[in-house]
Parts: sequence; C-alpha cells; structure tokens
Amino acid sequence: MSEQKLEDAVEFLDQQPRCACVLLLDTSGSMGGPPIQELNAGLQTFRDELVKDDLAKKRVEVAVIEFNSQVNLVQDFVTAEKFQPPTLYATGSTCMGAGIEKALDLIQERKKKYKDNGVTYYRPWVFLITDGGPTDSTQIAETKLKQAESKKGIVFFAVGVQGANMGFLQQIAGPAVKMLDGLNFKELFLWLSTSMQRVSQSKPGEMTALPPTDPWTAIGS
Amino acid sequence: MKIIETDKSEDESQVEEPESALWRTVAASVRGSGHEKSGLPCQDSHSVEPLPAGVLIVAVADGAGSAAHSEIGATVATRAALDWLSINQDLLNPNADGLSLEKTLRAAVEEAREKVLAEAAEREINVCELASTLIVVAATPTVVACAQVGDGAAVVNDQDQRLIALTKPQFGEYINETTFLTSADALTTLQSKVWRGAITHLAVFSDGLELLCLKLPEGTPHSQFFAPLFHFVSGITEEMDAQTQLEEFLRSAKIRQFTDDDVTLVLATFPQRLCPH
Repeated sequence: MSEQKLEDAVEFLDQQPRCACVLLLDTSGSMGGPPIQELNAGLQTFRDELVKDDLAKKRVEVAVIEFNSQVNLVQDFVTAEKFQPPTLYATGSTCMGAGIEKALDLIQERKKKYKDNGVTYYRPWVFLITDGGPTDSTQIAETKLKQAESKKGIVFFAVGVQGANMGFLQQIAGPAVKMLDGLNFKELFLWLSTSMQRVSQSKPGEMTALPPTDPWTAIGS
Repeated sequence: MKIIETDKSEDESQVEEPESALWRTVAASVRGSGHEKSGLPCQDSHSVEPLPAGVLIVAVADGAGSAAHSEIGATVATRAALDWLSINQDLLNPNADGLSLEKTLRAAVEEAREKVLAEAAEREINVCELASTLIVVAATPTVVACAQVGDGAAVVNDQDQRLIALTKPQFGEYINETTFLTSADALTTLQSKVWRGAITHLAVFSDGLELLCLKLPEGTPHSQFFAPLFHFVSGITEEMDAQTQLEEFLRSAKIRQFTDDDVTLVLATFPQRLCPH
C-alpha cells in the first residue's frame, strides 16, 4: 500500500449530474429545402461536438421535439453519447404553442425523474428554432413559459430564421432571442454545443459564462 | 490517555503534552485544469492549525469561479475564521455543551464574513468579487464541531470504522447553485453540527471532489474513497513527502477527468487512538 500511488488506491464514485436540453424545432412547410437540410446537418454537428467532450457526452441529455401541423417527440431524452440525430422533413403549419407546451411538460417529467432517482442536475434548456410565427393558440404556452422562467425552472432560448415572427419571439423570450445569420446552422449548433459543455461542467456562480453569439447571429439582432 | 478524560480541566491536563503530536495532518489545494487553461489562479484556500489541549482547527474555502478576486476572499475567510477560533480557543472545550460549541463555530463563520465584507470595503470593490464558500471545523479527540456555508463537506471516521458526513454540500435545485459567505442569506442557510465520538480521522474538502466521494444529493460518504486516504495519513512519516503525494493525487488524470475545478483536501488523523501505547 505504501508503494501504491494514491490515485490507484482510491476509488471514485461515477455519478454525473444531468443537463437536459430540449431542441424545439420548427419543421413547417416553409422550412423546406435548404433550411431543413442545414438544420439536419446542424443536429449532426451538435452531436459530433458534444461527444468530443468526455464530461458533456455523459451529462448533456438531448430531446428533440418538432412542430408543424402537429407536435412530435422525435427523440426522447438520451445522453449526448447515445444521441442519433434524426432526419427531419418540412411540411404543414406551425403549431408553436403546442410545441412549447410539450417541451415544458417534457422538462417537468424529466426533473421529476431526476428527483425520484436521486440524480443531481443543472437548469434545463429549451432551445427553440423557427422561421415563422405560431398558427395555433399560444395563450397557455405563454402562461406556462412565464411561470417556468420566473421560477428559474428553465433557460429558454429562441432563434429566428429568416421570416420568423421576431416580435412574437421577443414577447415570449425577451432578450434571449437571436436572429440567425442566413442559414448558418453550423455555427449555431457549434455555439449550442459549447454552451452545453460549459453549463454541464459549471461550478457555483458560473451559470452565465456562455460564448459570444456573434459567429451565427445576424447583425443588429 | 489523559486527553480523553473529560472530567479534568483541559488546560491542566495538557501542559506536558506536545500539541503537534496529537494530530497528524496533510493538506493541499491545487489549481484545476480549467483554471490553468483560462489563466485563473487557484481560488481555493485552506488553513490548518493545532491548538493546545488537543484541538485541531481547519478551514477550507472555495472561491467562486465567476468572482474576480475570489482567491483573496477565500484566503481572508479561512484566515479570519481560524484567527478567531485561536483567540477564543477556551470556548472549544470538549466538555462544553453541543449548543455552545455550535455557537462558537457559527461565530467563527460570522467573523469570517465580517472580515471579507471589510476587505471588500477597503478595496472598494463589490463584495461579490470576494465570493467563496467556507467550512470551519474544530476537532478534539472526543468531539468535532463544524459550520459551513455553501458546498464541500466534512467527513469523520470513528474507532468502529464508521464514516460520518458532518455536513453535506449545500446546493439549490440545481447542482451549480450554492450560497456563498458573501451572500445575503449566508448566515441563515449556514449548517452546523456537533458530533461526539471516538474520532480517528477527519477529511474536509471543497466541491471539486464532491461528485467523486459523496453519493449525492444525500451526501453519503463513499468508503472506498476515504479508506485509502485515511490509511495514507495514518502512515505519514515524512511531512513534505506526504504533501507532495497528496498534491500529485489531486492533480492526477483520474481526478481531472471528472473535474476541471480547483480541489482542496485536508486530511487529519488522531494517531493515539490508532495505535495505543
């Protein structure tokens, strides 16, 4: 024992706090063509970047919800290392209200699961990307979102692609709204990946240390 | 051994006893890889001091990563807490009742907070820039008292090989939210504890080690983590060498794969109880 190094003698617990990230994606008809292709490629980038980080790939849990004429849970929460990016198709209208509600419910369920299983966690993220405005009622979604934000229950972030109803996004997300520069989904997802890496390894008092959004935001947004 | 006879005046019974022989300690704070990368200094601080009458006082502070001068806050806090306990060491009598001991440790934390606030005023900076956590422990062979603001924890091992967490990491709903000594609610969220028993070992550590050695959120100590470290501190013959070994351990790849944070670990043993003469 005296010859053995401490690091070989000591056994560590392997527990990872979780950081839930819901990607809430607009796949309405107007996203067809290059936008949806770039979005799909962006999801791949997101996954590839996260799995390069030994801690983030175990701590970040990704879920994907798409909204068009309906709302689909395309991918329930999986750790980044098990995340297989889906291929999304664009069709139909923009049920954003129902999409937001679904995302908030999904986060609530996840938190409950964490608590029931004694898993520690970071504040979950909901990351909304849209190129339009809601075609359904958003009243309930807005109320729930305000509640969640005032209780610091989530971090809500909205990105508008060309054509997005920026006024509506600002109304629901305040300053956490950015306009995407062209179809620069690649930089957007690189940023999101870096942000999730930072958040999932953050120490007390470090929650706001996010990278700059300049590489992917349109000037003036 | 006379030092664990509690019916005698501690001052009288301890006159002949060399104080340093009562406790054996090793402690280190090392800079995390994240801090190395971003050029931040090690923002953890620790102080360990043996007092007469078989009392060991320990303070550990973890400076907030987001605070510009948290390493100063951490140093001021640990120093102030131990200075205060040292001046008021007659209050650390193992015969004192639990409530008084708890009050004493709380007072040390309050004093540390005052000193940090004063430091901020003197430097004309916002007190948030000096944000740190603080754990203060006073250990005698028969009773251990501690008080803590924020995360990190203190763990003791007793004669029957029982591992007991005296405090547990304090975080909110989210694991990266904690209270700092400089927070407005620092003193209302302060946790304190007095534990009586036959202590053999003590460990006090900052939050960089938490996930590796405590089952969270409940904070149960992981015996396979602590046993080898306690064995190590019991076997120390060369202090400098032990210090190097501990630093190497805290810098090892195994720890760094789990955390890029600064890490502090204070280990102490009360050897008389391990091998009675």
